[in-house]
Amino acid sequence: MADFSAQSYRQPFPFLDIDPTMESLTQFAELNPQSFILDNSAFNFQTFFPLSINDSLLSNQASQGETMSGFIHNSNQSSVSAQPIFSAKTEVEEISNKRKALDILESSSGNSSSSSPQVSETGIKRRNNSGKGKRAKSNEKEMEKPKEVVHVRARRGQATDSHSLAERVRRGKINERLRCLQDIVPGCYKTMGMALMLDEIINYVQSLQNQVEFLSMKLTAASTYYDFNSESDAMERMQREKAEEAKELERLMREGYVGIGGVACFHSSSTYGPL
Amino acid sequence: MDSQHLNPSSLKSRFTARFLRALIKINAQKPISSSSPRDIFQRYRRIKVAADKSMAYSVRSRRTWSRATLWKLRSRSRRRLASSGRRLSIKTRTTTTTTTTTTSTNHRAAIVEKTSHEKENKEDHVGLAVQAEELRELVPGGESMDLCNLLDETAHYIKCLTTQVQVMKKIANLYSLE
Repeated sequence: MADFSAQSYRQPFPFLDIDPTMESLTQFAELNPQSFILDNSAFNFQTFFPLSINDSLLSNQASQGETMSGFIHNSNQSSVSAQPIFSAKTEVEEISNKRKALDILESSSGNSSSSSPQVSETGIKRRNNSGKGKRAKSNEKEMEKPKEVVHVRARRGQATDSHSLAERVRRGKINERLRCLQDIVPGCYKTMGMALMLDEIINYVQSLQNQVEFLSMKLTAASTYYDFNSESDAMERMQREKAEEAKELERLMREGYVGIGGVACFHSSSTYGPL
Repeated sequence: MDSQHLNPSSLKSRFTARFLRALIKINAQKPISSSSPRDIFQRYRRIKVAADKSMAYSVRSRRTWSRATLWKLRSRSRRRLASSGRRLSIKTRTTTTTTTTTTSTNHRAAIVEKTSHEKENKEDHVGLAVQAEELRELVPGGESMDLCNLLDETAHYIKCLTTQVQVMKKIANLYSLE
């Protein structure tokens, strides 16, 4: 698995290093003016990025590290040229690293600045954070659960027209309902796909309907041999039935079973002794 | 010990009361000496219908499936009355036809409208169309619902079916022991 991924990374390299650099260049161009309001951040970029990059690179595949070190040496001149390194990592890592570095940058610059323009700085910082947060979030691929009917975020690389948004909301609703059904229907595992779960649900409903039919047949057989006399008898029966149910429920709960016919049968036979 | 466990307004107790009353009525109607297969079959049909009907009544048409069940049962009984005898049927028919024609037209219009809408939805989930169809056949009244509501109805229907099965099991045990 590691070999395969290493190969897949190695081959598209000559193409990747051009495009993501342009991408990340544009992103940085957008972000930099905002964060560069407080000065001497270029230096901070340089010092902070290689630190974070080295950590992540060490955790990545070793083959990438070799080629990356070459890139790092080339890119130590300017802050902007730190971008080719991002082509090797996955985009999520890149963006989280960027965010981390920018947060570090913000906090450091906030600490280093003097106390007099504190209010305006915090105001700028807040605006920066919100602006950066909005932009970073719109560029991120992190999972955003659609909240309610109205607030659905369009993820990156997905269509944003109203049809697909509504479709996504609908799919979310269906998944939620399927999860509820999963808890009700025994025999549904979380790892099963939608089709399998629907099959299970259909089987369960069919079996329940068959059970109802079978029980009604049993009742007809039982009632043909039984004699119903009067209304008072019926009322007694109803009350007795309710008491029976309560007792059986209790007993079943005590034993840890719910609604198993055999146990109920046994119990009711024992209670009819003194009667 | 604590027989106050039973909630008198729960689905289970409502269904139990109704079903027991229906059973008593059925047993009072037919003489017990009849043991021909046809009579037995008829009795079975009646008990089954009583079970479904009492369940649907306990839900009280708050749900689409219960409304559909009640509507089906009523239309079937009306058709049977109309075909067999005309003594009581005339009165019942005249009073109920006005209400039921409106409901039937509404129902059919709803079906037509919603099937056209749901055909678009079916194309989105091609892989699930088969199972959705099967589920629609199983759940009463499921023909005119999109998948989202269908799953809702299925959940409630399953819950009611389990209560029905539980209660009927206990009643059957009671009878089979006496």
